[in-house]
This record gives sequence, C-alpha cells and structure tokens, in this order.
Amino acid sequence: MSTTVATGAVSTEKATKDGLLQRRATKLWQAVGPLVIFVIMFAVVAILTPTFIGGGGVTIVASSAAPILLVALGQAFVLNIGSIDLSNAAITVLGAILLAMTLGPLGAVAPLVVLIMVTLFGAVNGLIVAFAQVPSFALTLGTLGIFQAAALVVSGATTVYVDANLDLVAWLYTGAIAMLPMTFILGVVVAVVAWLFLRFTRPGQGMTAVGKNESGAIFSAVRNRGLKVVAYSLSGFMAGLAGITIIAQAGSASPMGLGSDLLLPGIAAAIVGGTSISGGVMNPLNVIFGALTVALVPIATTALGFDPSTQNLVYGVVIIVVVALTLTRSRSATVK
Amino acid sequence: MTKETAQATAPTLRLTDIRKSFGPVHALKSISLEINRGEVIGLIGENGAGKSTLLKILTGIYQPDAGKIEVNGKSVKFRGPRDSSAAGIGVVHQEQSLFTNLSVAENIAISSGTGHRTGTRFGFYNWGQLNRSAAETLNIIGSKLNPKTRVGDLSFVDRQMVEIARAIRVDAGKDGSPLVILDEPTSLLERGETEVLEREIRKLKAFGSVIFVSHRLDEIIRNCDRILVMRNGELVADRVTSTVTEDELFKLMVGHASHASKKSRTSIDSSATPVLEVSRLSLKGKYSDISIAAHAGRITAIVGTSGSGREELSRAIFGAEKFDSGSIALNGSKVRGWRIPKAVSKGVGYVPSERKVEGMVGGYSAAENIVLTHPGKAAVGPIVLPWKRNKIAQEWFTTLDVRPNDIALELDRFSGGNQQKVVMAKWLNDPNLRVLVLDHPLRGLDPGAAETVNEQIKKACDKGAAVILLADTLEEALEMGDEILVMRDGAVTGHYDMNVDNPSTLDLLERMV
Repeated sequence: MSTTVATGAVSTEKATKDGLLQRRATKLWQAVGPLVIFVIMFAVVAILTPTFIGGGGVTIVASSAAPILLVALGQAFVLNIGSIDLSNAAITVLGAILLAMTLGPLGAVAPLVVLIMVTLFGAVNGLIVAFAQVPSFALTLGTLGIFQAAALVVSGATTVYVDANLDLVAWLYTGAIAMLPMTFILGVVVAVVAWLFLRFTRPGQGMTAVGKNESGAIFSAVRNRGLKVVAYSLSGFMAGLAGITIIAQAGSASPMGLGSDLLLPGIAAAIVGGTSISGGVMNPLNVIFGALTVALVPIATTALGFDPSTQNLVYGVVIIVVVALTLTRSRSATVK
Repeated sequence: MTKETAQATAPTLRLTDIRKSFGPVHALKSISLEINRGEVIGLIGENGAGKSTLLKILTGIYQPDAGKIEVNGKSVKFRGPRDSSAAGIGVVHQEQSLFTNLSVAENIAISSGTGHRTGTRFGFYNWGQLNRSAAETLNIIGSKLNPKTRVGDLSFVDRQMVEIARAIRVDAGKDGSPLVILDEPTSLLERGETEVLEREIRKLKAFGSVIFVSHRLDEIIRNCDRILVMRNGELVADRVTSTVTEDELFKLMVGHASHASKKSRTSIDSSATPVLEVSRLSLKGKYSDISIAAHAGRITAIVGTSGSGREELSRAIFGAEKFDSGSIALNGSKVRGWRIPKAVSKGVGYVPSERKVEGMVGGYSAAENIVLTHPGKAAVGPIVLPWKRNKIAQEWFTTLDVRPNDIALELDRFSGGNQQKVVMAKWLNDPNLRVLVLDHPLRGLDPGAAETVNEQIKKACDKGAAVILLADTLEEALEMGDEILVMRDGAVTGHYDMNVDNPSTLDLLERMV
C-alpha cells in the first residue's frame, strides 16, 4: 500500500515536471525560434560558400533586409490588431517618389513632410476600416490600387531622380556600423521602440487585446477603433521610412522600380518572425530575424549557384518550412 | 451471487489509478472507481475539480498519463472519441448538438462506426439498413420516432431522444451494457423539464448505466443511486444517496460548510441622490419608458423573460448599446455621449453573460485581464509597470482564491468559475466603482465559485456601489435583491421594495408572462 502511494507521488511529480518543461520549451522557442533559424541558415550558407562573408555577404543581406523589415514591422502591427494592410508597399513607392520630388526644393524638411503624408495615408486606411467597417482585406486591396495609380500620376510614369540634397539621406545607405548599413540599424531601432511600446504601454497592450478578442477588449473599455487607426498609421509611417531607405540606396524612385515588390516579402517576414495572421501575437524583435531570413534566401540561392529558374521554388519551400517551425500555434487545431 | 462468466459480473466501467496533468496542474490525481450495470451515478464537484477532464478521458478526447480503464471487464485504450463510442460509452452534451438539416437516422449513424449493422460501409449509406438500425435504437429507449424525419422538424423533447439514441448506438449493449454520460443537461433543466430528465434516466437505467453530471444538488439526490464527489482532482467521497444530505454534499465539494448568510437588506435614504438614475429610457421595439433609481449599496434585480428587454436595457446602462430617448444620470448629473470607455471612466462596470466572448480576453494572462479595464493603478500615464500589475493581480488571486494560483497563465486555461472570479476582479479593481451591472453572473458556476462571486457582489455594495442584477433564477433575484423590477415586453410590470414587500416567485411570474 505504502509503496504504491510513494511511486504514485513520484510519477505525478515527474508528469508535472515534464509538462512544465514542455511549456517552458514552447515559450523559449517562441522567443528565440526565428533567431535560431536565421543563424542556422546563415551558417549553412557561410560554410558552403567560403567567400560569402569575406565578399560582404553580411552587408548585402542587411541592406536588402532593411526596407523589408520596415514594411514588415508596420504590417505586423496591423496583423496584431486582427487586420491586414495590402497597401503598405504601394505607400512605400509613393513615399519614395514624393521624397525624390521634394528633396531638391525642400531640403531637410522633405523627409518630415513625406513621413507626415504617408502616416496620414495609413490613417485614412485605419479610419475606413474602423468606422465604415469595411473588411481590411477588401479596403486595402482597393487603396493598394489607388496608391499605385497616385504613384503613376505623380511621377508621370517615369523614374524620378533626386536633383539636389541627396546627401541628406544617402548616408543612411553608405554609412555603416560593424558592417551593418544605417538603413538596417534604423529598422532595428524602430523594432526595439515597437517592442517597448507593445510591452510597456497601455495602447500597446490594448492593441494586442483587440487582436486576441475584439469583443472582450471592447467590453473592457479598450478603444478598439482608435487603436486600429493608430496601427494603420504606424504601418503608413514605417512604409514611409522604407521609402526613405530606397531613396538613400538608389537616389531615384519609380512606380515599377525598387520597393514595388515589397508587399509579399513584408508579409512573409512578419509571419516568419512569429506574428500571427489571425491577430494577438507579435514580437517586433523577431520580425528583425524574419526580415533577415526572407532577405537571405534569394541572396543565398544565388551565392550557392542555384539555377535562376529554381530560385523561386527554393524561396517558396523555405518560407513554408520556416513558418511551420516558428508559427505560434493555438491549442485548438484551427488556423485561419 | 452465482459465478457466471467474468464478463457478466464485471462492472460496466472500472477505472484504476487514472492520472492526468496539464503542465503544472494535476487535473486528476489517481482516480479509481467502479460503475455497475444499471447504476445511476451522480458526479459532482466544483469547476476545476477535474470532472471535465475525467469525462474527456472516458470519451477518448484526452489520454490519461497513467492508469487503467476497463469496460465490461476488458482493458481498453481510447485513442479518440470513436474508440470510446465503440466500447459503448456515449455522451449527451450540455447543449443539444444535433445536425438539424439531417434526418434522425443520419444523426444517429454519424457518430457510430462503419459496418453492416449500422448501415454504412466504406462511407456509403445503405439507407434501408440505416433507417432500420436507427429505429431499433430508438425502440430500446421507447421512442416511436420515424427515423426519416428531419431533426429540425422535431420538438425539443424528441430531439433529446435522438441525442440519447445517438449516445447508446445500435451495437452497444450486445456484448455488455452501455454507459451513458449526461453532461449537465442544462438545456433541459433551464426549461424546467425535470420530469423529462427523470424519465430519460429511468429508461437508460433499464439497460445500461448512467453518469449524471450536474451542479444542482437537488437533482442529483433525486435521480442517482450513488454520488461521487470530486475536489482538486481527487475523488473525495463515494456515497450511497440515501446516506447524504445536500448540505453534506456541499461541504464535501467545497471543503467547508456553506457560510452564505442571508443578505441584510439595505434601506433607502430617500433624501440621497440615487447613484444611477435612468429616466424614461426607450429603445424602439425593445423597451420603452423605463425608469430606475438605483441607490448606493443596494441591489436592483431585474427579472423578465428573454424578450422582456432587460438585456438591452442593462447594456444601454453600460453604454454598449444605444437608446432612442430618455436619459441616464450618475450622481444626479446627466451623461452625454454614453459609450463604454466613458461609462467605465465614470465608474460603471458590466459582467456580461457571454463570458468567453465579451467578458474577457482569453489569450491574455489573468494578470493582464485584471488590469485591462482600469490600468491606472498599474501604470504611470501610458506606461505599464509589470511588477505593479503582478502585485495587484496576486492580491486579487489571494482574496478570491483563484485556482490554479498562477497569474501568468492565459485566462482561457482556467475553469469557468475561476474565470468569472477574474472577471469580477477586473471591475472591483476600480476604486471608484459606482454602478455594477451583472448579467447572469452565476451562470454555469459551481456552488463554491458562486458563493465567492456573491460575496464580492455584497462587498461592492458595502463600498457604496449600486448593483443592477439580471439573475439566473427568480429565487436568486429574491434572495439577493433589495429591490425587484419585473419587466414584460419592454415595460415595467412590477416593482417591489424588499424592505416593505414580500413577493413570492409566483407573484413575479404572474407579471412576467
């Protein structure tokens, strides 16, 4: 009798320990999964192509990750509140064109003016989603078209070159700290500020609450509509920052040029960084590694000498596998 | 007893040393029990005592960490609901779970395995056999329903028969007796169809065993042969019904005797301004011309059927729904632009009846939920201070005895009763709480949790809040209310001051319907 009791106690204790360990392991993986995956992939590429690091591979990956990271952070804010922003890459292009046109005449004020404008573009998205209750997918699909058209009209459908004062922003691309270009450093700074905002401020906590359960948040006096406007404004603002990095890099902007294909990489980077598509889960610091991973894949396939026609295939497979590994799963087996 | 085959004498169900943990939580600590053929077993326990976990193990949804399950003398392992249903264990769920667009026979067949007798083979229906086997099953429980009828066309009671037929299935009972679990058939109880329930149990008893799960101790005592009491994941008592009383059962479940004291009535100081004054409030098609004066420290219970407009009225007071005309005043001053954030900032709280949807953010930790509505104490301006938040949450966990005592656990991982404690804490955390609107605050709560919630309601009154209560039952309204308002079709049809009047439930009912 006494022995059964004793073994019983031991086995229960063990079961508890296992359960606790499992929970801790899940939490740990959620926290560092995207980092670990990026490091492993980077190491594999570096080992297979010995010239990769010596040949400036780090700088190349970081500089191509910078605009993706900025767009992805904005996207993650919108995903976190339970919506989606399909128009943010179009805002990046429009912002870049506006900056190319105004940098000459306005000088140092131009980036500020452009950032205010793109933030307002985002706010308009947010106001319509929050108050007219148009589903965000449909609305931003529409505004995507509108911003693209605006970019065409404003630029006259050609490439707009910065005619003066390019050095006001060019240092972002040319300057670097420890092989990392300033554009990427900018993205990291934005991510850290975003992380502090989400974790330690009332609006940040409110946004996540809305993403997890909007009704529950409303009945807890969370101002869901206002927060949606804020999330879309942030998305617009960060898309504008991405536009500035494009001007810094290229010195010009065009409706079909650099930045026009940022939408899907931006979404992919947010999700690879552990952001939940159905809302309520986001860690801006992991989005950094999401963006790096998404930027690394095409560069790595080229470096590894893949046939160009198979590069998209590899890209697709890698994204699926990485998302499967990093996705924060809910206990129920349903995924939107 | 003459010794026959092992199978005939073996109990319908025998559990030996069943254990189950979720993370750090021991949901079940060594459960052993036996249920014999023809027995009706009552299973009671507080929310979080482990009843649901046990039922989920019996129905194959969870797999136990350790222990043995034997059905009719044979050791079994359930890998999923299909296995347990094949072993003859069926469940009638809390809410009716039938497919209303399918026929009776299809509904019965859908949870049974494929095979010749059930009328399905390789996923194809053999309609003749399907209908015959459904009729056979219905016959066992004494129902003459036509298996071809669409379930959507059936009455409530007939649907309940289909639920049971589905639970016992056709091939169960051939080589042993089936076990049917009635998991809080609240749909029946709420409709007052207790005689239907009793009839069901009598029929099931004739050919199988029953586990009846309920929070209503009187129902349990009336219907069961034996009562099992669970507490903290353990079986704490196994009693023959004739040897126990309701008070004893309560004590066994909760661990202490009921100390619910009769509420002392609070009288109105007629000179004081009411905390909440609703004047001539109307919403087209829902309610019209409603006036309420709610005073500090008093509970105003509003009773009425579901079409009476009391839900809409209570939501209007919280700013969650609009009203067409009339006014709401707090401490004598009329409010304007009445929306939830404004109402909350003025000290109005609301506990909705749909707890999981509206009452809480399930994916957030309990601590984050507690400070969500009134973050002020845990923040400096817009900056949240996590250590302050955790301190506040820990204080509430201790006061309300929330289990498990883990403020960082996501709220949807707690049991219903403990969730409701956290939802209450969310509002009680407001130092300036003036009006607390409670929509069915005790729905689905076990007696222990209900007692805690009731204590907190009284405490809110003592601190000077006015409470608007939409109670589950008339008895609850009569017990808790200082004032009772009866509503019918959007109008007030009765008004009692419980200091003066002494209405009976019948008086209230007369004015409700």
